[in-house]
Amino acid sequence: MNTQLIEIKSENSKLLFDKPGTYVVFFSNISGKISCKITSEKVELYMIGLYDIKNTDKYTIQTEQIHESPHSFSDLYILSLIKDISSFTFSGLIRIEKNAQHTHAYQKNQNVLLSKGGFVDSRPILEILADDVFCTHGSTTGPLSKDQLYYLQTKGLTKLAAEKASIDGLKSLVYNRLEKLKVKSRKLKAKKTHD
Amino acid sequence: MKTKKLTFDYKYGFSVKSKNVFTAEKGLSEEKVRMISQMKGEPKWMLEKRLQAYNFFLKEKMPEWGADLSSINFDAITYFIRSTNSQVNSWDDLPAEIKDTYDRIGVPEAEKKFLSGVSAQYESEVVYEKVQEVLVKQGVIFCDMDTALKKYPKIVREYFGTLIPYSDNKFAALNTSVWSGGSFVYIPKGVKVMLPLQAYFRMNAQAFGQFERTLIIAEEGSSVHYIEGCTAPIYARDSLHSAVVEIFVKTGAKVRYTTVQNWSKNVYNLVTKRARADKNATMEWIDCNLGSQITMKYPAVYLMGEGARGEVLSIAFAGEGQHQDAGAKMIHFAPNTTSRIVSKSISKEGGRTSYRGLVQVMPGALNSSVFVSCDALLLDEVSRSDTYPTMRIKNNESTIQHEATVEKIGEEKLFYLMTRGLSKIDAETAFVNGFIEPVVKEIPLEYSVELNRLIRLEMEGSIG
Repeated sequence: MNTQLIEIKSENSKLLFDKPGTYVVFFSNISGKISCKITSEKVELYMIGLYDIKNTDKYTIQTEQIHESPHSFSDLYILSLIKDISSFTFSGLIRIEKNAQHTHAYQKNQNVLLSKGGFVDSRPILEILADDVFCTHGSTTGPLSKDQLYYLQTKGLTKLAAEKASIDGLKSLVYNRLEKLKVKSRKLKAKKTHD
Repeated sequence: MKTKKLTFDYKYGFSVKSKNVFTAEKGLSEEKVRMISQMKGEPKWMLEKRLQAYNFFLKEKMPEWGADLSSINFDAITYFIRSTNSQVNSWDDLPAEIKDTYDRIGVPEAEKKFLSGVSAQYESEVVYEKVQEVLVKQGVIFCDMDTALKKYPKIVREYFGTLIPYSDNKFAALNTSVWSGGSFVYIPKGVKVMLPLQAYFRMNAQAFGQFERTLIIAEEGSSVHYIEGCTAPIYARDSLHSAVVEIFVKTGAKVRYTTVQNWSKNVYNLVTKRARADKNATMEWIDCNLGSQITMKYPAVYLMGEGARGEVLSIAFAGEGQHQDAGAKMIHFAPNTTSRIVSKSISKEGGRTSYRGLVQVMPGALNSSVFVSCDALLLDEVSRSDTYPTMRIKNNESTIQHEATVEKIGEEKLFYLMTRGLSKIDAETAFVNGFIEPVVKEIPLEYSVELNRLIRLEMEGSIG
């Protein structure tokens, strides 16, 4: 089955998934609300977000994964790289309604603070009304790994180059996901890295 | 799956005929606040604080988030009861009825075993209180708040309401205006209290709110473990329990506060608990919520000094008609501070558990680390579990991790245990007890035994 790519560009998007299939929702450096409602069985939904922000940028993103039908799957992954005094606010909801048994729903938010003045507010929310489900969420926030940076420097990279390599490595987490889903990420890739 | 109603007798569902010396009329007014203060013979500053809090309570709105509190009728609650004329020091002097109640909870037994001091609260005031001589020799003060206000007014005034001002929230204001009873613990510099201090709280009058106020001060380098256990008889009318607990953990000190909450299932348990941890201090909350109709409780640690550590381990169990809205708050102000939150919740028969937490890392809290883990177990298809964490991070030299999982008991695991000869109830009980084990192993033996027994009773009720 073909993977369908949906790129979010407008501030408020309401998406309805009422037919089986694999869907990828991609968004990058955008504020607003993305609401995904699954009303069909056998929906495989990937929501992937990349935030690469700097200066006084302020982004607030709200996501919803609402499961109203059994036997579906959704997976959200948001990576944010925060520079200067920019700020990133994420609030994501997984809601599994009573009849949506056998749902698998996942949510992961990784935030990397690359400067002193950055700010992160992360709220991953679960509301589970069915029992036979697998549901997890995770959120991490922190700087680049000091061990990794040190290791790269022992191999002869300058501090700056080591940082760039680490950041590129993190971004590839997003691109690899897209590639695995057979989404042509080159088009997406060109657009959002603004430095 | 067909679920059976609980058929066993509620373990602590008995009540002893109330024989109160003085019961205030229902409802709250300024006169009543003045009367409570006057009857207790309080200093003027406390009366003023009560009145300020009362005015704030009137103005403040009910919280618009969390559990549904719309059915609380503040006018149908008795705000003050004095259950005996004077305080008694020895067990034998206690009135027979009260003794009977305690016997059934097991206070004397517990005392024989491990207790360094028993302060049992019956209705609004502490009627029985015994502090072992060792503690007195060490300079430890362990008494009820009313006594503390009379005997140590200077210390009480210095700390009372400084960590949780009445303006913190509506229920903190209500507590400040009508508080009665609760414990006062003062540990002098360098003193380590080896045995846990223990207090039982108990409500025994219909529609009577209990507003205890607890203050714990652990001076530099001291350590103490305080245990609060709650059991209450079943009554038909709604009851309100709204406590305030303030804890000061000074440099290098360590305080552990354990709660086993098993209010009867008509009680609204709305509690504000907060601790302040100074340099290299450790504060641990261990919070088990089993009873009550609605609990809203988020023990907090303000990490104010470098190297301070905060920990919250919590268990929530929600059965039919119950909503446990519990969680934790960790606010990092100083560098090198660490915190850990581990929450385990179980819902069954339409019960609802919610984890609600806040982690905030301030710009100055460099090199701090936070770990949060919430696991929820759903035992049937009518139950519900929520997770509402908030993380605010304002510096780039700290690491914050949060993870949560929701699942049901795996069929394969159950099947495996049953092939080994366990009945379905035993297998499920084993699974649930294993699920909460990381928290249970932190509480004293007699409590963990009681907890495991309670879980089994709850489980038996749920299997058809």
